Amino acid sequence: MHYKLVLTLYRVFAITVLYLVLIGILAYAWIMGFYAVNASWAAPVILSAADEKSLDFREKLVTSQQTIEDLKVDSQKLETGLAEMKGHRGALLALEPQLRDAIARQKTHNSTAGPALAQLDQQKLADNAKTQKVLEQLKEVEANINRDLAAGLITKGDAATQLSALNQAQDAYTDSKIAENLLTDSVLNKTTTGTDTLDVLEKQAELRSEVAQLDIAISVAEKQLYEESRQIVRLREAITTAKQSPYYLNASGGQTLYFAFVPYDNQAHAVAGSPIYDCYLNMVLCRHVGTVKAIFTSEEQAIHPIFKTQIRGFLIQMTLDHAESAKSKTVFLGGKPVLF
Amino acid sequence: MSPILLWLILILCLVITVVKYLMGIIMRFSFPSTKAEKDYAYEPTVSVLMPCYNEGKTVYETIESIAKSNYPNHKFEVIAQDDCSADDSYEWMQKAQRDFTNIRIRTGRNKVNSGKARSVCNALQHSTAEVIISIDSDCIFHSQAIRELTACFAEPKMGSVGGRVGVRNPNDNTITAIQTLIYYAAFQIYKIPENWTRSICCISGCLFAIRRELLLEIEPAIRNRNWFGIPVSQGEDRFLTHQTLLRGYGTYINNDALCWTTVPNTLSMLFKQQLRWRRSIVRDFFFTLKSLPQHVWKLHPNTLLTLVLVPLGAMLGLLVVVTALTQDPLSWAGPLPLITALGIGAVLTWIVKKYSAREAVAHPLAFAAYVGWSMVSSLFLTPLALCTMDSADWGTRTIDARTTQPHEVPVGNTTR
Repeated sequence: MHYKLVLTLYRVFAITVLYLVLIGILAYAWIMGFYAVNASWAAPVILSAADEKSLDFREKLVTSQQTIEDLKVDSQKLETGLAEMKGHRGALLALEPQLRDAIARQKTHNSTAGPALAQLDQQKLADNAKTQKVLEQLKEVEANINRDLAAGLITKGDAATQLSALNQAQDAYTDSKIAENLLTDSVLNKTTTGTDTLDVLEKQAELRSEVAQLDIAISVAEKQLYEESRQIVRLREAITTAKQSPYYLNASGGQTLYFAFVPYDNQAHAVAGSPIYDCYLNMVLCRHVGTVKAIFTSEEQAIHPIFKTQIRGFLIQMTLDHAESAKSKTVFLGGKPVLF
Repeated sequence: MSPILLWLILILCLVITVVKYLMGIIMRFSFPSTKAEKDYAYEPTVSVLMPCYNEGKTVYETIESIAKSNYPNHKFEVIAQDDCSADDSYEWMQKAQRDFTNIRIRTGRNKVNSGKARSVCNALQHSTAEVIISIDSDCIFHSQAIRELTACFAEPKMGSVGGRVGVRNPNDNTITAIQTLIYYAAFQIYKIPENWTRSICCISGCLFAIRRELLLEIEPAIRNRNWFGIPVSQGEDRFLTHQTLLRGYGTYINNDALCWTTVPNTLSMLFKQQLRWRRSIVRDFFFTLKSLPQHVWKLHPNTLLTLVLVPLGAMLGLLVVVTALTQDPLSWAGPLPLITALGIGAVLTWIVKKYSAREAVAHPLAFAAYVGWSMVSSLFLTPLALCTMDSADWGTRTIDARTTQPHEVPVGNTTR
């Protein structure tokens, strides 16, 4: 009797366990097979506001925007500097023909004035030679004056007047000699490449060098401006793209957003506006819980909710009428995975 | 049971299994004491008990192979006991009795189907020999088998000696190829550490030699085996081995005593056979737990670990497989299990081909399928065995519905 009871209990227990094991194995096999062939499932993903990736995304976005602002300021500075350099370059370039004309004029003048002055210089030289001979004779006259004064033949006043006249003649000779030297210099300047000419040429070279340096600086500035403009464009494009990312939306939006991971194999069912179903036991007794709102094209990697393998795909944004569906292991896009 | 303890037990089981195989390899080549002292001059009288059920002509071939033994003919006999076969097995037994007159053959038949264990006991009633050898009626025996078995009884404390079971049909298909390699590794490696301590936990019923007085001592226990009142007829070999050990005798596998059996060649048959074996293991495990203090005092720790941890690991294996399948469902499909199985298969195939050409496996890659079988084995067999302990179904033999009721068995009705 005791054994019979034990046996009965054992058999009930054993049959229950075996059926449970059998059901478990069949369910497991069914789930494996189902997810191996089903191409409409998506795995809901809950991104919290403090999600590391979202925060990281936002931080990078702020940094990018700050970089754009910095680049804009830099560009403005460059543009101003560039305008100044171009104005300065224009002014310098305007000086160049004037300087060239002046040099030409000077050369023309020198070509005529130079020989004339050279002739005058020769004449002056001859005159001064004659004057020097006269001045040597004046030494005797001065001696006679001093002798006459000593002899009392003339008064001191007369002597002073006569000596003063002699000094004036001496001064005149000195002046004439100075004039001769100056004239020689002038001739030299007019007939050869003198320092004045060199100064002018130096000025011309400096002018040209300054223009060339300005050209380089303008070119560099223009390139820099171009690069910065491109970088701004690129950053703006990146920000535009980033603003379409679920992580940005999640980090910046005040309201709760719902996302789901869709493997590439199930891409065909991920269409904006298509209905979303949530099911019991991951596949049956499904109900309509929302629609696909947006598709994000950037690639994501996730762990397969059933097979636990690494898979590639993308995220979609969902509009859910039943928020708890965001916590389901899987949802189905487009329709119910089985008939009910 | 906490998960940590569960994992610890499983890791311990795995370690013990791996260590046993490694120790088996090392001991085989460097521990002479793993081999029993054999005295071929010792020639006790022998009764070969052969219970038979639905074996057909095979039983004739089995008796023929026994008749060709080089053991002195006057010192051994065959006692064949038919367990109410539905086919012509009994006629084949009688034909063998007529044909092989060089040895004494007795044939008997149970009035009702009683199972292998009780058929052995019934056959034992006719024996007066010093050593009893119980064999399976579908095996072919090497002519040296009886001599090899009896020679081991030269050790006074040797209680039971088994032979190595080879596979007759290694190349029927993948299933038989896998079994061939597993049988070979089990006998030639896994059981060596148990041989070292003379504490084999299960001597195969295909070729099982035991001292007569010991078997007579155990016989009542065999007849009274039951599970909550349901007679148990399966796993008599494991039970006998266990009882031998508990009575302070040694158990040993003599790999030079050879016999070849036909292993299941369909998944269905294999499943049933393995289920039957698993039930015996589980039953043995519960018996060990029930009398654990007695085991602790009497058995070698090596034996105790094998008796407790191996079945415990088999039971917990289900949880491991379920956990693995839940957490990483495709883990079993990865390359590592496959490569491991292929590697082991290749090595074993080479060894079998070199040392036992008769069992050479034609397709070494077949062992890769063992990965799949190990999953089935872990998932289904032990839970199923645990839940069908009340089953008396032998599984691999068709039982006539009219004769399934266990019954006290009369003595054999035909002797010579």
